[in-house]
Amino acid sequence: MGIKSFLQKVISKPEFGPLVLLVVEVVAFTVRSPAFLSAGNISNLMAFTPELGMITLGMTLLMTAGEFDLSVGSVFGFAPIVMWTLYNTHIVPLEIGFVVAILSAVIIGLANGWFVTYLKIPSFLVTLGMLLVVRGIALYVTDGFPQRTWTADSPLMKILVGEFAIGDLRFYASLLWFILFAIILGYILTESKAGNWIQAAGGNPEAARARGVRVTRTKIALFVLTAVISAYAGITSSIRVSAANPNSGTQYELEVIAMVVIGGTALTGGRGTIIGTVLGVLILRMMRNGIVLIGVPGLAYNIFIGGIILAMMALHSWLERRHHSGT
Amino acid sequence: MEGARGARTNGTNGTDKANATILNCEGRTANRELLTTIVMADELVRMDRINKFFGRVQALSDVTLSVNRNEIVGLLGDNGAGKSTLIKILSGALRAESGDIYVRGNRVKIRNTTDAIALGIETIYQDSALIAQLSIARNLFLGREPVKGPRFFDRLDQDKMNQVARDLLKQVGIKKEIPPTTPISALSGGERQAVAIARAMHFESELIILDEPTNNLGVEETQGVLRFVRGARDSGHSCILIAHNIYHVFQVVDRIIVLRRGKTVADDIDPKRTTIEAVESIITGMPL
Repeated sequence: MGIKSFLQKVISKPEFGPLVLLVVEVVAFTVRSPAFLSAGNISNLMAFTPELGMITLGMTLLMTAGEFDLSVGSVFGFAPIVMWTLYNTHIVPLEIGFVVAILSAVIIGLANGWFVTYLKIPSFLVTLGMLLVVRGIALYVTDGFPQRTWTADSPLMKILVGEFAIGDLRFYASLLWFILFAIILGYILTESKAGNWIQAAGGNPEAARARGVRVTRTKIALFVLTAVISAYAGITSSIRVSAANPNSGTQYELEVIAMVVIGGTALTGGRGTIIGTVLGVLILRMMRNGIVLIGVPGLAYNIFIGGIILAMMALHSWLERRHHSGT
Repeated sequence: MEGARGARTNGTNGTDKANATILNCEGRTANRELLTTIVMADELVRMDRINKFFGRVQALSDVTLSVNRNEIVGLLGDNGAGKSTLIKILSGALRAESGDIYVRGNRVKIRNTTDAIALGIETIYQDSALIAQLSIARNLFLGREPVKGPRFFDRLDQDKMNQVARDLLKQVGIKKEIPPTTPISALSGGERQAVAIARAMHFESELIILDEPTNNLGVEETQGVLRFVRGARDSGHSCILIAHNIYHVFQVVDRIIVLRRGKTVADDIDPKRTTIEAVESIITGMPL
């Protein structure tokens, strides 16, 4: 294989565009503001990024299977409310509260999946309804007040978000969990039989079903996965910031979908990439962080995000067309 | 009408069968009792007195169709004659109101496409039922992926998938070097049909049903598909070929069955002993 065809192969990868964008972004921000690559800023960046990142991993698989979930932000806020309310009212120990919170996410995921697959309602409508229901429950249960979290001391908290340092860099354990989840889900998507089913379910569900692929079961499992990973991320976040706010996670769903799509996963299903999603997460999080550092008004952030989404979509569609015309 | 009534002499069947399956032009079997009691050793699939309604419209009435081993059957009929309905019942996409289906002499229930595939009946539709985003190899093995290593890891045996795919593509006559990791979306219509046929052949479908396989294909690709159909017979498969283009059907089939308004009007036309005009007049019901 010559250099040229090797380059062509690299360029035709869906992850290539996001990678270039990320590199450009890092270089541009570093040039404008040396503080961008400082230990303090990187530590700062890596505190919240893994939490949002976990949701995107689940969402990538779900979107590859042709569905998406708008209720992730609500579940992100709801699960810690379940855990901390149970704990604060002395009903159960924290660990049991954690299990109950995860189980409640399983039920939300099953409900989403059931509505979408058995009642054949588009996931947009189902999960929009679920977004309101779940958020509503969180607000109602708490009367809108944040739940105390600082009274607890459990090894579980250390496992989820214990702090550690590498030189000057301070990280939370959530970063390691994020990396582990990314490896596992990336493996599932591209190397496993289940991954083949996920892609097939999103690409052409009828054809997949005709081959014996359990499309319904695959989709329901992914709705459950997405809900559970969102709950896990929400609990992680509540421990790190020492507050379980019933409003937390609001509007995460759109940012998450934007990250996944920027990474090269098709909104219409059939094609997905975990590596691309990780790049997409970094692109948007660094954009938010860097823009403030180089002195662009924070309110202008959305202009850049919107611009990036549009530019990346244009790039993906251009690459797609070029690919199909047989070059 | 001579063509329609002509007893077939090609193939390996005895003359009893030929006599037994002659139908008259009104679509009633001349000697149905005899027909249903004879179980031919080489009969692969038989659909017996199938009835199907869509609301009050009777799409199929008492349609009987049989396919022997190593036989290529052409199923012809005008639009709305019931060809696709009949085939969908056989492939599990639709269910008949009444009638029986026998595979290798055993009565079977086909509730869905999975059942049909398990019985060795593979249907290749116009859109070939492939998944455009997936690679050739992943499509070939979809639903029956080989797994290597411990089961817990659920790991695809991609080397094996690619190797088998490469061999199969050669078998079905794709000479161009196409890597098995190429997504289906990058293939031409004829190449897609070839992949679908390769899949049916690899998984030992005994009966391959091709529903309008040459639609939207170029001349060369059409020839390719027709060549695959002939090749399928040589490698021990049976085929039902549905096509609007009678010329294509005439080129490859052993026997032609004609449906008109939901009824079988001929089921033993030998393309070697009749003319296209004669078959056309049977399809339309208008005398020459």
